[in-house]
Amino acid sequence: MRTRCRLVLFFLTVGACGLGAQSPPSSPPTNTCLDCHLIFEDDEHLGVPAQLFAGDIHAARGLTCAACHGGDPREEDSDKSMDPAKGFIGVPKRADIPRLCAHCHSDAVFMRSYNPRLRTDQLAQYGTSVHGQRLRRGDTRVAVCSDCHGIHDIRPASATLSRVHPLRLPQTCAGCHSDREHMKGYEIPTDQWDEYRASVHYRTLAGGDLAAPTCATCHGNHGAAPPGVASVERVCGTCHVFQEQLFDQSPHKQPWDMMELASCLTCHGNHGIQPTGDFLVGTGEEAFCINCHLEGDGGWETAEKIHAALVGLDSALADAAGLLDQAERAGMDVGEARLVQANARESLIKARVDVHAFNAARVEETVESGLELAAEAHQAGEAALDELAFRRKGLGLSLLAIAFVVFSLWLLIRHIERGKEEIIYKHEQ
Amino acid sequence: MASAGTEKGASPPGRRQLLGFLLGSSVFASLASIFYPILKFVLPPPSGELDSDTVVAARLDELAPSAAKIFRFGNRPGLLIRLPEGGYRAFSATCTHLDCTVQFRQREQDVWCACHNGIYDLRGRNVSGPPPRPLEEYDVHERGEEIVVARREQA
Repeated sequence: MRTRCRLVLFFLTVGACGLGAQSPPSSPPTNTCLDCHLIFEDDEHLGVPAQLFAGDIHAARGLTCAACHGGDPREEDSDKSMDPAKGFIGVPKRADIPRLCAHCHSDAVFMRSYNPRLRTDQLAQYGTSVHGQRLRRGDTRVAVCSDCHGIHDIRPASATLSRVHPLRLPQTCAGCHSDREHMKGYEIPTDQWDEYRASVHYRTLAGGDLAAPTCATCHGNHGAAPPGVASVERVCGTCHVFQEQLFDQSPHKQPWDMMELASCLTCHGNHGIQPTGDFLVGTGEEAFCINCHLEGDGGWETAEKIHAALVGLDSALADAAGLLDQAERAGMDVGEARLVQANARESLIKARVDVHAFNAARVEETVESGLELAAEAHQAGEAALDELAFRRKGLGLSLLAIAFVVFSLWLLIRHIERGKEEIIYKHEQ
Repeated sequence: MASAGTEKGASPPGRRQLLGFLLGSSVFASLASIFYPILKFVLPPPSGELDSDTVVAARLDELAPSAAKIFRFGNRPGLLIRLPEGGYRAFSATCTHLDCTVQFRQREQDVWCACHNGIYDLRGRNVSGPPPRPLEEYDVHERGEEIVVARREQA
């Protein structure tokens, strides 16, 4: 209650200073705080924050230290500029930070004058997050705004140096979640970052695809929370739309819901998701299916059929590709066949998506169309190699013919030369 | 009077005939091996030109507004779209996710990949789903009655 009163007093004071209703300043405001604090140079608490503030988005938009710390930045006398009567609070308490930031960031009218595109529901979302709920219960070790966004060097999420830029966000979360000491008592794993770093999602992200999932994609950002069994499928389905739709129609849906098995996670895992392969479906040692299905049951048979269909098409494609590669290396034109091969490969990709319906007939139907195309590509490859052999034989024969011409000409010339010699000989006699 | 063939030092007629036959047939075979490739070059091949930087993608009257077609560009498919407001845009029809062939959806006015529900806008920008990059865009020109698509030069 006392904290709340102090906050209300602070916001009233800051409001009275005109911050809440201010428009963005047209010229750099007076900020005497920096004049003094920069003197402290490398002092971690007094000098460094002042140095960092130069790169902060709030500084760039004309806000001063007083926006968060209160006081009057126009006063050169530190007793006056840091006067509690003028709202100076010093270092804000961790527990107060979300509401301190929300004083501006939840004010849609105020934020419109700075950045109309910025959302203003962060505090409401934060209240639903595990962080926010624990903070409300008095746990000040949980993440507050400054843990993710920084303190004096806050940058827009799109800036590459921002702690919440997609490429840096996983490390930001890992700053706490991989710290065993910090996470002691929360009873959740601390290997998420290690797992994620080895996942296909991180490799895609690190490869430059900033749309690849980071922690916030699945857990949310301000409302960060585990997706929960019921919503895992929806979370994955935001990107993997067809897989989600097919799973909903699959025979697994109902029993897994009853058993409270998290749909996608049960086979693919969560943080350390690896690239998939045809070996994951079927009855081989690495197949997921054998974790539940036993030899002789319907699921076992379906898994075997699906695996056989996928591997069959993959193998047919590899054969066709091998022939086309061979023909292409030999200089033959296989462009048309390459198009057919690409279409056959597309059938394989679709069949791999169809797996999520766990319906062998559906997969086999898609594979069948792919096999026809693969056979067409294979025939084209054989035809190209036949044509190559024909050309080689033709070249051999033509070289032989040319050699005969040369040899015959030589005989003819010799014959003519001899005839001439005989005539000269007779003439001389 | 002895015949010329029996004269001392002259070639017998059989040898001369054989020599003539060898010479004639090998000259014929050599000419065939020279003219066959020329003939093959002159006659149009059953499929279009490959690996070129330009291709005739459609006839001018072929596409109605808000329609599209897949054309062959080298050994890859291309997508030519006639925009609702007129004008054309052409892209590589190969999805940047896993190389499936994308298609134009008239109702949604977008470009869609049926493999993983990847969606691009009509400027080829990846806007939804797994595609990591935009589609490669080509230049489109009208040449007489033909729509010609050209690969853009790398900067």
